[in-house]
Amino acid sequence: MIEDDLRAAFARHEPLTPPTGPLRATIERLVARRRRRRRRFRAAGVTLCLVAALGAGVPQLRPERAVEVPSLSGLPADSPNGSLNVLLLGVDGLGGAPPYRLADSILLVHIPADRSRPYLISLPRDLEVSIPGRGTDKLNAAFFTGAGEPRPDLDAGYDLTRRVVADLIGVPVDAGAVLTFAGLRRITEAVDGVDVCLPDEVRSWHTRRVFPAGCQRLDGAASVDLLRQRRDLPAGALDRDRNAQRYVAGLIRRAAERDVLTNPVTLAALLSAAGRELTVDDEGLSLGRLVAVLPTLRSVDPVGLSLPVGAPAEGPSRLPLDPKDGPAFLAALREDRLAQWAAQHPEQVNRIR
Amino acid sequence: MTYEEFADTRLAPLLRYAVMLTGDPHQAQDLVQETMVRVQLNWRRVVRADSPERYVRRMLTNQYVDWKRGSWMRRVLLRGEPDESVPASADHAQSAVDRDQIWSWLSRLPRRQRATLVLRYYEDLPDAEIAEILGCAVGTVRSSISRALATLRAEYVEVRS
Repeated sequence: MIEDDLRAAFARHEPLTPPTGPLRATIERLVARRRRRRRRFRAAGVTLCLVAALGAGVPQLRPERAVEVPSLSGLPADSPNGSLNVLLLGVDGLGGAPPYRLADSILLVHIPADRSRPYLISLPRDLEVSIPGRGTDKLNAAFFTGAGEPRPDLDAGYDLTRRVVADLIGVPVDAGAVLTFAGLRRITEAVDGVDVCLPDEVRSWHTRRVFPAGCQRLDGAASVDLLRQRRDLPAGALDRDRNAQRYVAGLIRRAAERDVLTNPVTLAALLSAAGRELTVDDEGLSLGRLVAVLPTLRSVDPVGLSLPVGAPAEGPSRLPLDPKDGPAFLAALREDRLAQWAAQHPEQVNRIR
Repeated sequence: MTYEEFADTRLAPLLRYAVMLTGDPHQAQDLVQETMVRVQLNWRRVVRADSPERYVRRMLTNQYVDWKRGSWMRRVLLRGEPDESVPASADHAQSAVDRDQIWSWLSRLPRRQRATLVLRYYEDLPDAEIAEILGCAVGTVRSSISRALATLRAEYVEVRS
C-alpha cells in the first residue's frame, strides 16, 4: 500500500517538471563557455601536469583566492585514499597532420597522500591489456583506437587510454595530458633545454646523433630525438621509457632552477609554448585543485619505477603483467604504499638522475 | 546518434526523473543542466557506452547522490528546503495533505535510498538495472529499498497514532 502511495505521489508531482526549452538553451551557453575555457587551459594544463604535478614546489603558485578545497584529505573526490594519479601520454606522429597516432610513452605520475614525493611509473607500451571495442591488444593501441584515423583526435585517444589504464591499475586517473613531439620540443625550448643524465651511450637510429653517457643539456630537437629511440637500446621500449623518466626528472629540475613557475614572465612563455600540440584532461581533477597540491610536496625528486612485466607471451612484442610482482605492485599503488614497495624492490627503481 | 538527437528525446524524461529525485523543479534543472553540460562536452565517450541513456542516467544519479562534492550544491544550498517548494495541492481535503506528506518524507531519506525508490516506483526499472545505475550489488538495492520503505512506514504509524 505504501508502494501505491509512492507511485501516486510521483505521478502527482510530474507537473512540477519545468519546460525543457530554456534549460536546453542554458546548457548550450554553458557548454560554449566551458569549451572556451578548456581551450585556454589546454596549454596551461600540460605544463602544469608535467612541471607542476611533478612537484616543482612553488608556494607562490598557490592561488590568491581560496581554492574550493577545504583540506587535502578531501581531495580529490574519487581517489579512495587522497593520493593522486596523473596520466601523461607521449604520442608519436610527425608533421602537421599525421594520419594516425600511437601512445608510445605512457607515464603515470603518482603523488602519495602524504605528499612526500612524486613517483614516475612507466607503463610499457607493449603491455597486454583489454581495450574496450578492440579486445586484447598492446597498451599503445588504446590511444590509436580511441583517436581514430585518418585525422586522429587527441582527446578521444586520451579518453580511451585513460579508461584502459584506470581498469589496469584499479583506481581512477585524476588528471592527465597528451604530449606530441612538437609539444615536447616547444616545452624543452621554453626552458632553454633540459639536462638529461644517461647511464649509457645512446645512438639515434633516426639522425645518427650520439648521446654520450652522463649528463648533457638537450635542446628541443635533441629531446625529441632521444625520446624516439628504441631500436638500438638493449631493452628496447622499456629503456626508452626510462629515458622518458630521465627527461621528465630533468625538466622538473630545470623548471625549478629557473623559477619557471614562480616568475610570471617565464610561466607565460612556457604556457604559450605548449600551444595546441597539447591536450589536457581537466574533467576529473580541475587545474585549480591540482595546483593547490603542489606546494604541499615535501620533495621534488621523483622516484622512477616501471610496472613489472613478465617474459613476452604471445608473439615477441606483447608483454604480460609479471604474475607475481605485477599484482603486488598494483596493490601497492592502489593502497598508496609505493615507498615501501620501492624499498623492498630496489632493483625495480630506475636510475633517473 | 548525435547529442542533439539525444537531447531531443531524452531531456524531458531526464528532467522528470530529476524532479522525482530532488523534489524541486529548480534543483532538478540545476542537476540536469550540470549533467548535460558534461554529457555534451564528453559526448564521444557517452555515445560509446552500450546504452547512452543509461550512462547519462547514471551520471545524473551520481551527481545527485554525491551532491556534497558537486559544484551545483553550493547554489542549491542557497535555496529553500525541497519540501517548501511543493506546490499547494489542488485538493483541499485533509486527505490531500496526508497524501503529500509522503512527498515531504521522501526528502528526509538518504539520497541513495530516495534514488532507489524513484528508480523502482517511478521509472519501474528492474533491480538489476537499478544496481547498475547506482553502481552497487542487486542485494544492496533491495536492502536500501526495504530500509527506505520501513522508514516511510514508521512515519505513517507515527502520524496515524
